[in-house]
Parts: sequence; structure tokens; C-alpha cells
Amino acid sequence: MSSQTAEEFLTEIQKKAEKGELLYIGKELKRLDDLEKVLGSPIYTNDLIPRNTLYARLVLSKYPHALIKGMSVTKALNYPGVRYVLTYKDIPGLNESSTIIPDRPLFAFNKVRSTGDIVAAVIAEKPNRAQEAAQLVEVEYEPLKAVFDPVEAMKDDAPKIHEDGNIIKHVKVRKGDVEKGFEEADYIIENTFRTQHQDAAPLETETAFALLRGDKMLIIGSMQTPHHVQAAVAKVLGWPLDKIEVIQAVTGGAFGPKSDEPPYDVASIAALGTIKTGKPVLMSMTREESMTAHTKRHPAIITHKTGVKANGKLTASKVQIVLDGGAYASLGVLVIVRATFHANGPYEIPNVWNDGYKVYTNNTYTGSFRGFGAPQAIFAAESQMDEIAKKLNMDPLDLRLINMLRPGSRTSTGQLMDESCGLPECLDAVIKASDYRNKKKLYAKQEGKVRKGIGIAMLHHGNALGPEGNDYAYVHLSVEKNGKVHLGTGLTEFGTGAISGLAQIAASVLGVPVDYFTIDRPDTLVHHETGPTVASRVIAIGGNAARDAALKLKQKLLPVASKMLNCKVDDVQIVEGYAFCKGKENKSFSWEEIIKEAYEANIELHTIGYYMAPSCKWDEETGLGSPYNQYTFGAAVAEVEVDTETGVYRVLNYYVAFDVGKAINPKSVKGQIYGGTVQGLGYAIMEELVHKDGYVVNPNLKDYYIPTSLDIPENIQAFIIEKPGSMGPYGAKIVAEPPVVLPGPVIRNAVMDATGRGVNSLPITSEKVYRAIKG
Amino acid sequence: MAQMLVKINVNGVEREVLVDPDDRLLDVLREDFGFKSVKEACGTGDCGLCTVLMDGKPVLSCLIPAFQAKNHKILTLEGLNNDPLMKKIQDQFREHQAAQCGFCTPAMEIMGWHLLNRKKEPSKQEIKEAISGTLCRCTGYYDIVDAIYDAGREQ
Repeated sequence: MSSQTAEEFLTEIQKKAEKGELLYIGKELKRLDDLEKVLGSPIYTNDLIPRNTLYARLVLSKYPHALIKGMSVTKALNYPGVRYVLTYKDIPGLNESSTIIPDRPLFAFNKVRSTGDIVAAVIAEKPNRAQEAAQLVEVEYEPLKAVFDPVEAMKDDAPKIHEDGNIIKHVKVRKGDVEKGFEEADYIIENTFRTQHQDAAPLETETAFALLRGDKMLIIGSMQTPHHVQAAVAKVLGWPLDKIEVIQAVTGGAFGPKSDEPPYDVASIAALGTIKTGKPVLMSMTREESMTAHTKRHPAIITHKTGVKANGKLTASKVQIVLDGGAYASLGVLVIVRATFHANGPYEIPNVWNDGYKVYTNNTYTGSFRGFGAPQAIFAAESQMDEIAKKLNMDPLDLRLINMLRPGSRTSTGQLMDESCGLPECLDAVIKASDYRNKKKLYAKQEGKVRKGIGIAMLHHGNALGPEGNDYAYVHLSVEKNGKVHLGTGLTEFGTGAISGLAQIAASVLGVPVDYFTIDRPDTLVHHETGPTVASRVIAIGGNAARDAALKLKQKLLPVASKMLNCKVDDVQIVEGYAFCKGKENKSFSWEEIIKEAYEANIELHTIGYYMAPSCKWDEETGLGSPYNQYTFGAAVAEVEVDTETGVYRVLNYYVAFDVGKAINPKSVKGQIYGGTVQGLGYAIMEELVHKDGYVVNPNLKDYYIPTSLDIPENIQAFIIEKPGSMGPYGAKIVAEPPVVLPGPVIRNAVMDATGRGVNSLPITSEKVYRAIKG
Repeated sequence: MAQMLVKINVNGVEREVLVDPDDRLLDVLREDFGFKSVKEACGTGDCGLCTVLMDGKPVLSCLIPAFQAKNHKILTLEGLNNDPLMKKIQDQFREHQAAQCGFCTPAMEIMGWHLLNRKKEPSKQEIKEAISGTLCRCTGYYDIVDAIYDAGREQ
């Protein structure tokens, strides 16, 4: 090193030292998990199976509601290549595959409640042999009267799907005096909104592989919640937890269903098959099996009654949400909580009365899916806002400016918004970028059949679990003798980059480059049970645990470096993998040297970081209180061009801003915004998993359209706003889910701006736009 | 079922395999030859994730019976991992964080490589058209398009 470069180096290091714990926070670093992905390495469950593996295929119910009178597997068993046919009789433990309410058997035994119910599974030497033999399993059914409309299902005389009534869960919000609020109003606006079944369609379907190792069952699978899968399999097998090891393989997309019950099914079936055949078994759903038998986004019927003064001030909001739960409760009992708490949109309304119901029907079951009830709730709330603006003859922007949440406002549950409420900044960013005011004026003067329109939608999104459970996480760090840092956790990566974000946080605290980190696969026998990887909570909750683990590790290393540098512990600084004594920067030791010294001094370099979010307090009866510790905010403006003769339209420009508190890795944050927006765009304009009399009409990617590269808006502009929250590390808020919420309402409102007519059901197909114009 | 002995050149190496008439090229590539970069996400020719190059042209290996690949030349991502252009594409995928879950990544990179071989500096619209038969559920495509775009300009 020449003296000049050494000096420059020192200046640089000193500058970096000033950043302290924030060294790598807010940097667009590369992800740690994508090298194998771009090389196409064998990392997914299906890639890891040995040659002697057997394959399982499902036998699904032929009726949406029927009694099972008899079953024969003889023909299937005799089919060439078939090794075993699993039914409920083969379950040594409990025939149960449920998350919260134990209402769903793994294999149907006395009755079926939907066409997604699993009746049997065929195990064969090749997948196509299993598929063919699955047709030969004979089941004798006695069809029962079924119900497919959740509102019908709520009636007393509706067919009972389970023992106790069809209403699974009723959630309430009661704030102020809603009837008084309606009396004070100059106008009362009532509308009903409907949403459809959306399929998450992760490109890797639900997959698990099981293998006996001595007296232990090893399960490798595609999932969000390995510890929950472990417990589910233990229940089915009747085995103790420690005999079952679950490892999450690299997971090819998840989006929620892989945190719900489908991963329990595939893991349990693979494990049972392995016990019965003595061979490793792979249960990888076909696309059709997945789209029939896994959880989807709940269809919703949402009615809004809103009171508003002539000046635009909202006085009362009464909302009823009915979610079509399908045949089983799943995590949907929590989805309805989030939907009901967000039902009025990001507005301050003095009087609120919300009722949310999750209802059993004989459709296939619905559950966790990115957004978790918010996409339905905000579609209705934000569509209603534009209907109100139309009634008042007011610009929808002005109506929002009058009522939106700001620091000092209170939400529908009465929660006070503090300085971390960045909704005004989000709205401002998209209004400016889109030149909303001018375009609104310009488009109002259009004539002719092709017309442009511009719309707005906004959201607040309660962070992490809140009312959905204990919000805790563990993160393990350990350092090898060569200095390599292992980061392990029961939290899972399934595409967002969040686990790389945890390493970025730990690296910042330790002062060692992210390149030193390697991420270990989540393994139930190695990593602590750490709650589910849902609610976008890896960074906001897990980030605090990663920070805690890194601080504990640093506590162990500082005295070592202090001795080596002959420097007070308080003056030791570790920056970019070098330890210095403050003020004596010309002497340094490398990370590797410190680690080696620590090993020689017998210091154990393994720490476990923990974080538990403050508990959220709200009243079960009124919903009042603070159900979430902090909120993410967002706003979008969309521009569309509509052919008013045909209803055909396209989205031209999409401007979107999210207040994410602190972007740990802005590139990853934008990746979530883009990806979520396009998944939300699919929900808004084209996706519908059609159920007809309980049968899924389009359980394949030929007839169920998800956006291709030619369906996305040509111009998308994403803005990151940072108003630090009170919970997440460095103020970070959650980001992965909210982007999926806005396309529905913002595109709907833009189409209404262009045509004068609003479409109140998703997806907003060209046919619906045409009918709205002509109707 | 009568099995057939089929000779296929995969990634530059002549290989022989016994196949059933209903074995798909996809299965033979993955299970018999071990080229796991070839993914299955639908099995019906709708997602594009099983795309490989057959005599230099992209084909869907889930729709091709293995015996039909007899005497043809197949390239999978494993066969391109040392190719300088593919390396550029892979670097750009990492730079843009274009691989999120990663499941569509091999097929996207193959389509990008195939396009950049025909046209050095395609427009973003041309890239979108080239990958329009390959589905991605994570990224919304923007970062993938940018990665291929930049890889082209870097040549």
C-alpha cells in the first residue's frame, strides 16, 4: 500500500466508521441467495430427490358436498407401477391438516365438502403411472345439497357444511355513534362491491419430499413455515416432534398459500407414503391439483354505507364484509380480521360500524394470500371514495385530502397516527409525478371514442402480525474459524430477498462486508421455532432479531480486538472487516485475524438473537384500540386509455409510492413494489379462478391468465418514502404485501374517470367496462 | 410399454437413454441426465419454464415426447454456463435482482440469450416480446427486461 492510498483509505474508513451501525443500511447490495438461481443449480425440492424416489398423485373429491359411502383402492393398487394407495385408514395419528380451527382432515373419510378435498393419494414408480391409477380409485358418494354463495350460506336454513353453522368468524369495529353520523351527513352513499377467487400461482407448486433416516423422518419441501409443517406431520404420524426434521428447500414462489395448509398436506402425504413403502416419496402437486386443492384469495361481497357532508367531510362509515371461506377455515379466520380493520380505508372517520364475516361454502377453500384481506377491503373502500366524490361533484383527490390519515389522526379503531404516518408524502409524490391536476383537467375535455382517464387509490397497512399472533423471531449467527458468518433462522426466503436483508443488518452491526455471510437453510432441528414467515414480517420483526444476534456477537468480539489493538473496548471500531482503535487508525487487524484470535481464546462465536414485538391492545367486542404497532402507507395514480365503444382498455402509466419507514435495500424494496403491482394488476384486470357449482372451471395456466411481460404498464414509477416506524429496525416497515393492493381500486377509478362509469367488481374486464358504459 | 433407445446430443455430449413412449423430453433431461435447470410449472405448455434450445430454437420440453428429440441437439442452461454472453446475462440478473424466487430464471436467461444472439441491442419492447411466453410471478418483469437490456448493451 503506498502512503497516499493508505491515507485515502484511512479517510474513507473514518467516514464509514461514522456511519456505525448503519454501514450497509439503505444500500443496494446484491442478494446472497441468487448466484445458484442464475446458474440454474439444483436447489429446489424437485431437484434434490434420489433416483429411487416414488411419486404421489392426489385423488380429489368428485362432488362439492357428499357423503362417502364406500371406497375401493384395489384396481388402482393393481395398476402397473403402483406401490401403494393412501387413504384415511393409513393415518397412524390424527387425520387432521389444519392451522387454527381443526376442521379439515388430511384425507376425507365420512364426507367431502369441496372438490378440492383429498380422498386418497396414489404412490407409484413414475408420476404418470400414479396419475393414471388415480382415476381407478373407486369412491361411492351420496351427494348432499350444497351452497356456493356465502350470503346464502349465512342463512339459518342453508345446508350445514360442518357441525356448527356456516359463520366461522365474526369481527366487529364499533366506533362512535354511526346512526348519529348518518344524521349529520348531507349525503348517504351506498354501494356493493365484489371480488373474485384469485390463485397465487407460485410457479413452483406445493412440493415435499420425505425420506426415512434411521428412525427419523426427513422432509424437504417448498414452504413458508417449516416448524408448522413439522408439527402438522407429527400430528398425522403420531410421532414426537424430534423424530421429524423439516428443511425448507429453496422455494419457487409462495405468496401465502405456502404458509397455510397445503404444505401440511404434501408433507404429510410424502411422509405417510415413505412409511408405507419404505422408499423416499415426492409429493409435488400438478398445476391442476394445486389450483384445485390449495387455498386461494377469498372472494368478498362488501357493502358500504357512507355519510358525508357537502364539504366532503366523512361523518360515518358502515361496512359489511362477507368472505367466501370455501369448505375450511384455514388462516382465513385471521384474514377477516385484517379485512375488517382496514375496511374503511386510510381515513379519519368519527363514526364507524364494521362487520366482517368469514363463511363456509362448498367452494374450494380460501386462505392466506399476499395482502391478507386488504386487497378486497381497500378495493371496496377506495372505489367507494370515488363514488362519493362523484356524488359531491368533487375531485377524488380533494375528497382524499380532506379525510386522509395524517399525524394526529385516528384510524377506524381509534389508533392515533404519530409522526410515522407518511400517507401525505406518498400521495404528494404520485400526484406530482403524474401531473395529476393538469391531466385531470385535460382529460375532462376529451371527445371521441378513445379516452384517457386518471385515478387515485391509497392505503394504510397494519404491520406484521398484530392481532394475528405473537410477533417474535429468532436469528442465529455463528462464525467459522475462517471468518465466514452463518446466518440461520426459521424464517424463510421465498423470493423477496428479505433474508439477504437480515444479513445486511447483521453485517452493518458487525462492521463486516455482506460477502462474509452465508445463509443456512431453515431446518427445524437446528433453528428455533420462530413463528410463521407471513405478513411481510421478516425485516420488521426478524431484522430486530438479526440486530440482536449481531450485537451479542459483537460483545464477544470487541474485547478480543481490544486486547489485540491494546485499546479500550469502547474505542474499538470494526469497519468493512477491519478493527481499529479510535484515533489510532493506522494500526488494524482484519476480521479473519480477530476471529482466529477468538477461536484460540476459546470464545464461542454463536449467538441467538431474539425479538418480540410489543403486544397489541384492542377490544374484541368493539375492535377499538391499537391492533398494530406501526403502519405502512401507500398511494398510487394510474392512467388508462379506454375504447368506449368496446370497453377495451390498457394501463398506460402507473405511479406508486410507499412509506416503508427505512428501505434496508432499496433495490429489493423496488423489486417488491414492481412484482406486487403486477400481481395486483392481474387481480385487477384479468385473473379469476372461476367456480361453477363448486367445480373449478380453469385450474390451469391456459385458462387462468396471469400477466405476461406484454400485459404490464409500459411506464411504472416507484417512489420510496421513509417515515421511520417505532418497531422495525432503523424504522423499517413492511413492504412485500401492500403493492398488490392498489392496482384494483386505482385502475377501477381511472376507468371511471375515462368513462364516467364505475365497475364495482373485480376483475375489471373489458366486457364489464363495456356493460357499464352501455348500461 | 415398449421402450425405445434414443440418442440425444445434450449440451454437446452424445447421450443414450431408454425411454417410454410417454416420457417427455423434460423428464429425460431432468431425471435421466440430471439437468435440473429445466423446470416444470404447468406441464401443459403454458408457462415456458421448461424451455430449452433444440437445434438452436426455443422449444417447450414438456410438450415434446423424448423420442422425438432423437438425433437433435439440445442446449440447457447448464450447457451455457461457461458462455461469455450467458455470463453477462447472469451478472445482470444479479445486478438488477431479476431473480427473486429464481424458478423462472433459467428459462428467462435462455430466452434472453437466444434474443441477444439474434439481435445485439434489442429494444425493451423487443425483449418483452421475446420473453412473453415465459411466466414470472415475482418480479413483474421490469427487472428481467432491464437485465437483458443491459446485458445486450454490455456486449
